Amino acid sequence: MTAPPASNGQPLQARAVDDEGRLVLTLRVNGQQHRVRARTHHTLLEVLRDQLRLVGTREGCGVGMCGACTVLVDGNPVSSCLLLAALCEGRELVTVEGLQADDGGLDPVQEAFVDHTAFQCSYCTPGFLLAAKALLAEAPDPSAEEVKEYLAGNLCRCGSYVKILDAVLDAKQRLSQQP
Amino acid sequence: MSVPRRADGAGFSGMVDALARVTGRVGYTIDLELPGMLHAKLLRSVAAHARIARIDASRARRLPGVVAVVTGEDLAGRSDLFPWFGPIFRDQPIVAIDKVRFVGEPVAAVAAVDLDTAQEALGLIEVEYEELPAVFTLDEALAEDAPLLHEGPPRLGQAFPDVIVNPEGGNVCNHFKLRKGDVDAGFAQADHVFEDVFTSPATQHVPLETHACVAAVADGQITVWAGTQIPFVVRSQLAEIFKLPLSRVRVIVPTLGGGYGAKCYPKIEPVAALLASVARRPVKLHLTREEEFVTITKHAMRIRMRTGLLRDGTIVARQSTCHFNTGAYADIGPRLIKNGGYGTGGPHAIPNLRVDSYAVYTNLPPAGAFRGYGINQAAWAYETQMDMIAERIGMDPYELRMRNFLNDGDTVMTGEPMTDSHFHELLDSVSSKIGWDFRGWDAEPERRGSKVRAKGLSCIIKGTVTPSTSTASARLNDDGSLDVLTSAVEMGQGLKTALAILAGERLSLPVRMVAVSEPDTAVTPYDQQTSSSRSSFSMGGAVTIAVEDVRRQLLEHAAELLEVAVEDLELEDGTVRVAGAPDRAIGYGQVIQRSRAGNLLGSGTFQTQGGLDPETGQGIGSVHWHQAAGAAEVEVDLETGRVELLRYHAGVYAGRIINPVQAELQTEGNVAFGVGQALFEEMVYDHGQLQNGNLGDYMIASIKDMPAQLDLTILEHPEPTEIHGIGETSLPPVMPAIGNAVYRATGVRVTDLPITPEKVLRGLRERHGRETPAAGAVADTGAP
Repeated sequence: MTAPPASNGQPLQARAVDDEGRLVLTLRVNGQQHRVRARTHHTLLEVLRDQLRLVGTREGCGVGMCGACTVLVDGNPVSSCLLLAALCEGRELVTVEGLQADDGGLDPVQEAFVDHTAFQCSYCTPGFLLAAKALLAEAPDPSAEEVKEYLAGNLCRCGSYVKILDAVLDAKQRLSQQP
Repeated sequence: MSVPRRADGAGFSGMVDALARVTGRVGYTIDLELPGMLHAKLLRSVAAHARIARIDASRARRLPGVVAVVTGEDLAGRSDLFPWFGPIFRDQPIVAIDKVRFVGEPVAAVAAVDLDTAQEALGLIEVEYEELPAVFTLDEALAEDAPLLHEGPPRLGQAFPDVIVNPEGGNVCNHFKLRKGDVDAGFAQADHVFEDVFTSPATQHVPLETHACVAAVADGQITVWAGTQIPFVVRSQLAEIFKLPLSRVRVIVPTLGGGYGAKCYPKIEPVAALLASVARRPVKLHLTREEEFVTITKHAMRIRMRTGLLRDGTIVARQSTCHFNTGAYADIGPRLIKNGGYGTGGPHAIPNLRVDSYAVYTNLPPAGAFRGYGINQAAWAYETQMDMIAERIGMDPYELRMRNFLNDGDTVMTGEPMTDSHFHELLDSVSSKIGWDFRGWDAEPERRGSKVRAKGLSCIIKGTVTPSTSTASARLNDDGSLDVLTSAVEMGQGLKTALAILAGERLSLPVRMVAVSEPDTAVTPYDQQTSSSRSSFSMGGAVTIAVEDVRRQLLEHAAELLEVAVEDLELEDGTVRVAGAPDRAIGYGQVIQRSRAGNLLGSGTFQTQGGLDPETGQGIGSVHWHQAAGAAEVEVDLETGRVELLRYHAGVYAGRIINPVQAELQTEGNVAFGVGQALFEEMVYDHGQLQNGNLGDYMIASIKDMPAQLDLTILEHPEPTEIHGIGETSLPPVMPAIGNAVYRATGVRVTDLPITPEKVLRGLRERHGRETPAAGAVADTGAP
């Protein structure tokens, strides 16, 4: 898991706030622009859930240790509980809701998770899907050990790990066979 | 990893709501948002045991955006409320009244327009504590002059039919006794008697979805959406608190983001409902991870186990004294000590058994149901002791187990005869798969550099709550689809899918034509609990009876319409046909339309009978017995003390396998759960203050902690109605199998879970010190 993006070394610009002290932000999530209002301490997780109602992103620990709130930020898996919403302008954000095609078709990683039943309570599933997605984009042919290493920051208390590993390795095959 | 697929079942393997689960849309309690909903936060005690000398919430009440504040003082003045809850003893206040009993206990609750405001309000509440002496350990709590957590006799609620209530005063919350045979005569007959002490710490369930509840109270009606495993007890306790009829309390349960026992019985529902009633607006309460850790835990335990054997290894007597640290409030501890107590009899035919099992109050967070329900602690003791005994009498631990297993007809620890026993088969399977090859206790372990490898075995027995009751309804619609109305809770174990399969096959319908409800106490019939690995069996039984009821009506209507006898009809894929005349058929929907039945309603009640005598603990302990074995191969690094689980083989008796992939998932999940319990999970307290209550400091198993090789034996029963639960069964063997393997690898016997590198290194140093006088030569690579 890569560290949350900093502000590219640039000092944060003084920003206009509304009369409740909230910043007006423009976030690009799942390919769409959204205007949201957030206080400076609000995390991306809070904004995604509470304002955009993208509830597939979930808090598990609040300290970046469990991976349940993983989203993709410019393609990198990031714990959205640790990332301030105000730092996300200009970034390309993807949540689990963005994996499904407009016509309802599943992403190959999602398909593989369904076919292997790689979940039980499935609270952690969006985080695993996005981490797996990032892994397969970074390294199209990971070994089982590499998959485990990459997914070690995502926790599944139901312990569906055997099926998750099978699903990710299967998704790798599916993606490699795509034109 | 393959489980043989059934050819004659519904042929479905997977989860009915898989699509919702991979798209993030499945919908937990935390996702719920109601118009005008407020957000709640709890102010928690910083003292372990104290009188609340003063509490002043006036500044919090004046903060703009705060709508409701509740303290213990507010509760005291309300005659319309009974402010206590707890499934057996009503000993837990909605928020602390007059005194606090553990660090983290809620002392005030705030509902505000947003979380920021609620959080700010907490900082404006002033509390003065007058500290009292506190007790944290069993010895402190049981000392003669120990300060008391609770004074006077407990407030008892409606009785649970299987719970024996025997509070003995002091800090003893409850005492369970088991007297089987004549234990003194048994020890007198024994050639060997061994006594050992085993301990295991409090751990936390860590459901990734922490406790969450949304409550709305209006016009004498309470509605709560709660992540609970037991909606009907939440309903009855809210009705008692608010002095309302059960029919005025509605509990709705969206799917759970994990439970593992943590979400049994009321936890945060009372305070959420109270805030909603004061605010007159809906309130959401969702605990942080840090709060989850102090809400409910596994019982820390100490078991003193004395076992007597004949020269040939036959066990003739056992005496167990079990102390379970139940924390500040009883929760379900008074019942759990029964299972944890009788559980120490193990899967062995022991003619003379004496058990005294105690729940003990301390100033720690409450302990309650935890996957395995007392059997983890019991099995840690008896399966570790089995290996210790085997070494002392120079026997193969496999042989010692085989010699003592319960066979059909032997009396189990609670006095009823064993039936359908599979212990020999299970242990044989796992030991042969792991390559069990005993070459004597002094055989050298396999060694590569600083790393040693060895194997360990274990085998356990577990009951399921008995007696118990489940009820269900089934509704065949006039398009031929079926609704199953049930109060059993989906928490990832795949219960909805299992019930859809069972219902579908009784009515010859594919799973896609069956919808299984979420629990909603206003609509769905009574179920006792979703725990104790009982739901596929008990609720599966109730659903089956309800669908049979529908089937009977369907056949009667169809017989009339087709002008044939019921006996001449058969069901196939949504159609009623006349046997031998394929052109004479009618769809289910048409039967209902043409008979103008509207829908066909079926109901089912499934009950089991049993219970134990309060003085002897004898009777019927479990309607059937869950059985599992485990075989582990570990590698221990002698330089660091680190234990790695290389291979594990889990064996479990499933009865009928309803959904093969889910049977595998539950069993694999138990191994993941068990690795954590065995090697690193432990709640660490300093004077009652939890030191590691977050997922940075408290580790749970990741994908890298799983054994490189994990194999399953899921034994199946040929009879399709013979269903046993497997949600917990394969968990208790994991810890002793690993512990026994670590001993074989290193000679270090850890009797206190978890088996940390520090304990292994300390043990290695002690061994080294014993064996070579030059102990000082050993490098101190020890504990930080």
